[in-house]
Amino acid sequence: MIKKLSNILNIKLSKFLFGIGLLISINGMDAAEGGPCKDYGECDEFKYSLNDMASLQRGASTFLNYCYGCHSLQYSRWGRVSSDLQIPEEIFFDNLVFDKSIKPGDLMIGSMSKEQSAQWFGVAPPDLTLVSRVRGDDWIYSYLRAYYEDSSKQYGVNNLVYPGTAMPNVLMALQGNQKLVCKDVPVFAKNGGEKRDDFGNTITKEKCGYLKVDEGSGELNKEEFDSLIYDLTNFLVYVGEPAKAERERMGWYVIFYFLIFTALSALLYREYHKDYHK
Amino acid sequence: MSEMVGKLFGWVNSRLPVSNTFERHLSKHPVPSKVNFWYLFGALASVVLIIQIVSGIWLIMPYSNTEEEAFASIEYIMRDVDYGWVIRYMHTTGASMFFAVVYLHMFRGLLYGSYQKPKELVWIFGCTIYLAMMAEGFLGYVLPYGQMSYWGAQVIISLFGAIPYIGESLELWIRGDYYISGITVSRFFALHVVALPLVLIALVFLHLVALHEVGAGNPEGVDIEEHLDDDGVPLDSVPFFPYKVLNALVGIGVFMTVFAIIMFFFPEGGGYFIEMANFEEANPLVTPEHIAPVWYYSPYYAMLRAVPDKLGGLIVMGSAVAILFVVPWLDKSKVASIRYKGIYSKVALALFGISFITLGYLGTVSVTEVRKTMSVICTVIYFAFFLLMPIYTKYEKTLEVPERL
Repeated sequence: MIKKLSNILNIKLSKFLFGIGLLISINGMDAAEGGPCKDYGECDEFKYSLNDMASLQRGASTFLNYCYGCHSLQYSRWGRVSSDLQIPEEIFFDNLVFDKSIKPGDLMIGSMSKEQSAQWFGVAPPDLTLVSRVRGDDWIYSYLRAYYEDSSKQYGVNNLVYPGTAMPNVLMALQGNQKLVCKDVPVFAKNGGEKRDDFGNTITKEKCGYLKVDEGSGELNKEEFDSLIYDLTNFLVYVGEPAKAERERMGWYVIFYFLIFTALSALLYREYHKDYHK
Repeated sequence: MSEMVGKLFGWVNSRLPVSNTFERHLSKHPVPSKVNFWYLFGALASVVLIIQIVSGIWLIMPYSNTEEEAFASIEYIMRDVDYGWVIRYMHTTGASMFFAVVYLHMFRGLLYGSYQKPKELVWIFGCTIYLAMMAEGFLGYVLPYGQMSYWGAQVIISLFGAIPYIGESLELWIRGDYYISGITVSRFFALHVVALPLVLIALVFLHLVALHEVGAGNPEGVDIEEHLDDDGVPLDSVPFFPYKVLNALVGIGVFMTVFAIIMFFFPEGGGYFIEMANFEEANPLVTPEHIAPVWYYSPYYAMLRAVPDKLGGLIVMGSAVAILFVVPWLDKSKVASIRYKGIYSKVALALFGISFITLGYLGTVSVTEVRKTMSVICTVIYFAFFLLMPIYTKYEKTLEVPERL
């Protein structure tokens, strides 16, 4: 049946796809839009690992220590986080929950009133339960690492991913003082090769807008800080959809079931078909 | 025991046409013996309809249709309800899959002339189902009350405002308020879960009854009723049950595998099935940077934007759907299937397909000059396909249709 189909369809299908390709390539010539990471350029790629409990636990700890003062996780419950992240309830409540009146079934509604915080910061810090689903994990991972010194701003910092952000760089003590610097970069010829002068030295030109941390100004070095942000982002991916790891685990079983279902029904169909065309 | 069951069945059967209906519509219902995969999408659409109804019923239980709680209740379903996320993703994936199979089902109709005499009513019921589905999908999209729910509804409802004289009061009547509010959400909820599903089920029933009256088509466009055996059964047919049912079961297996891959691994469909902005609660004070409809409406949205005037855009959009209803009378060809139609029909259908998909893409991205021009060109091709159909189908050279399948 498939062969007969492809006889009439494949030819048409290829032309069809060519036509669509042509139209989309015309569209590609149109001016490109700015990406979600704005002045940062391409967002850094983030690959979550929701089965890495240690990473999620570190992320939760960073969040509760540095972010939760201002940002709530209002759709998430304390007890769910502690059980999903395999943190024994006692340890969790002793070390990460600062208000002792909180019960495991309570929502993580934050500790700051929206009215007050709006007065202090100009805007109320948003709830972050779903930030990984609204912005995407790549965006968060890039954003938290893209702060730089800018004395013209209220808190002395600005952000390449979110220019004019209202949030101060809360993690500055850990990261250190990050600045925008200029660098000498090689000049490339049209064919993609580096341009060289008559003596074979690479021709360079000064380009600005690179992020660089003042050496020794933070508690963590670059790798340690990146890994801290990785864990934090990983935690936000978890909190955005707590069932995600289970969903991906369960998916394989469901697909397996339907493959068996398809195979069996194909065999049954073949058997009945034989019978009819005897 | 079996005697008792037999007696009971006899008792029921003499009061309700059980075996009669079973024979007439299933075990003795003749369907063409040779069809291809294009003929599976109707069965798949009914599978998705069932998925939507069942998952929908379970979603109603924890959902809250108030302005304050609608968004939070969705997150409650995703987090606190046992397997709530399974039910919700089933419903969101089902919505996209419903349109995917229905679009393919409709394209099959155009490909093999499934609207031609005597199947005009089957086609018209089908178009009405599509129209009801569009309304159903739109109403359902508003219920989670995210940013895209709110602003999408804002755009669509404001379209009605473009109608002269009655526009403004019509808008007010639809919303039930001066702006989109909890009142709008709760009435959309009632329409989405009660009114339109009833309409849809009734239409699907009529679609099937009409189809069984005139008989299913085949990719050759051969009338199987022309050659009957001694019992009056078409020679080129098989009984629907069990042969076609088993055939459909294989298709359903493949389809459900794809369904599961999307549902468990890509439920957002890259932002096309569930838009990212819809994970933010509706906020009347903040307009999202980029308002785009879900993928299944985007071809019409591109048409709307291709016309500078709002009322003109609305008319173009409405006509694009309305014109589908008259296709049976636009096609003047002697043959049904694209296999035996002439080159004009083939080129026209290919161009139509390309322009529809391109419009779909253009409806999801922001407008630029080039894109706008492309939208205009594709809209013109879309309408030319239908409006020129009486001419190119009448004056092209067709091939001889074989006697038998």
